[in-house]
Amino acid sequence: MNTKGSKFRTFYLSLFFVILYVPVLSVVLYSFNKSSSTAQWTGFTFDWYLQLFNDRVIFESFKISMVVAIITSTVSAIIGTASAVISSYVSKKVESAINGVMFLPLIIPEVALGLSLLIFFTELNLTFGVPTLVIGHSLFCVPYIYFMVQLRLQEIDSSIIEAAKDLGASSWQIVKTIILPLVIPSTLTGSLLAFAMSLDDVIISTYMAGPTGTTLPVHIFSMMRTGVTPKVNALSTLFLLGTFLLIGLNQTIGRKGEKFYEEN
Amino acid sequence: MKKSTKERLKQNAPAVPILVYLILLVGIPLLLVVLLSFFSRDSLGNIVFELSFDNYKKMLDPVYLRVFFNSFILAILTGLISLIIGYPVAYFTAGLNRKSRSFLILLIMLPFWISSLLRTYGWTILLGKDGLINNALIFLRIIDKPLNLMYNFGTVLTGTVYMLIPYMIISIYNSVDKLDRSLLEASYDLGGSKLKTFFKITLPLTMPGIARGYTLVFIPALGLYYISDLLGGGNTMFLGNLINNMATRGRNKPLASAFAIGMILLVLLVLFIYSKVSKNSKESLL
Repeated sequence: MNTKGSKFRTFYLSLFFVILYVPVLSVVLYSFNKSSSTAQWTGFTFDWYLQLFNDRVIFESFKISMVVAIITSTVSAIIGTASAVISSYVSKKVESAINGVMFLPLIIPEVALGLSLLIFFTELNLTFGVPTLVIGHSLFCVPYIYFMVQLRLQEIDSSIIEAAKDLGASSWQIVKTIILPLVIPSTLTGSLLAFAMSLDDVIISTYMAGPTGTTLPVHIFSMMRTGVTPKVNALSTLFLLGTFLLIGLNQTIGRKGEKFYEEN
Repeated sequence: MKKSTKERLKQNAPAVPILVYLILLVGIPLLLVVLLSFFSRDSLGNIVFELSFDNYKKMLDPVYLRVFFNSFILAILTGLISLIIGYPVAYFTAGLNRKSRSFLILLIMLPFWISSLLRTYGWTILLGKDGLINNALIFLRIIDKPLNLMYNFGTVLTGTVYMLIPYMIISIYNSVDKLDRSLLEASYDLGGSKLKTFFKITLPLTMPGIARGYTLVFIPALGLYYISDLLGGGNTMFLGNLINNMATRGRNKPLASAFAIGMILLVLLVLFIYSKVSKNSKESLL
């Protein structure tokens, strides 16, 4: 490429990535501002973080969020992986039926999904709380893991499975010793994604939360709508740090998984 | 070899729990939304079980049609702006060397992991009355009174594009990346200009990525009500806000259901168009 073109390319990409990250960075920056308004930078402080740790409501909703995210990612990993493995065994017709329904929660806007579960659970007279939150979040987490694992399954060399069959392995032995070890990395990546999505969800959580407590994002959302203090910034910054830890974890798992795949 | 009914049953039996799970959590709830949309509610918010088309008639009220229109325009424009801004990003990124390419892809994907509330809230810090942009402009003496950058359609559009553009870029990138570069060289060798080569070869060949990206951006743009709440301040009503308000504060689940059905139909229409446009390509939406 000529230099003029490559200069424009560098300029365009730099501008884009600056704009992509400026909103995020400004939230972080103002979490350390003494003044509660963004009008002026009045000095550096950790006060907002200290206030955060003394806020009981935030702590309680954080606890709910973590519990929901941990259960959701575990349950979704099991259901999603099992469904994907099973769907590779059943007839093509049944498989495409499962694919079709799994696809629905991913394409229907969350407001409509949340509303549908709200109506269903109200009719069933269920108490809203952690269990309904887990069910609501699994609704969109299971399909993600399902499709990720399915993608991995398609990559598996079918001659390995043929060979195992010829040597007299049962279906269960094949699943246990060949298929599961090969798809586990996808399951783990998927459940980390599910964990992050569950922790971040606002819309479905709004519908699924109980009267006694809600998740952190729903609480943050109501904080943002009413009076905003840099406490929100501090909270978001801590969340961001947590996210980066997760991504680091994900990269490590991904690399280990690749190695495993290459070795086998 | 044809399988007997018994063999087929045995083969498909493991799928039963999955189908039960899906029917219970996806099928029945959605069916209930359809049913409820034909009911109404009394003054206490209790549901009256009497079939009628009243909710759908209400949807044709100009006030509500306007909401559909707003959401539709928002989603169309979100797709269009994401495409215009995102295409060059994807195209340029795909032309870089391996190392910088994977670094930039990481930067594009990273926002998926960052809280969407945080990303939305960032714009209020930038665009607010005493936000960073106004402060900078006043400091540079370009303006002397803060501009009204918040709480309008443009603000919501900015926030929605910002939230969804990574989907567009990744979709297009995947298409550009698969592009057979020898075709471009052949075009240059035959005397095709850069511009002509782009419009005659690159653009048509990356169409599947564009169609997929547009669909992936359009659909969520219809329902992300927290963006229009935080950045639009309720000045423009969108479908997501309307459904949410009616279902929660308005206590009118039947009407909310009718609007949800309207929204789902809009999504299905987009998917139908997508399947027509991309029927020649093997790429699936995900």
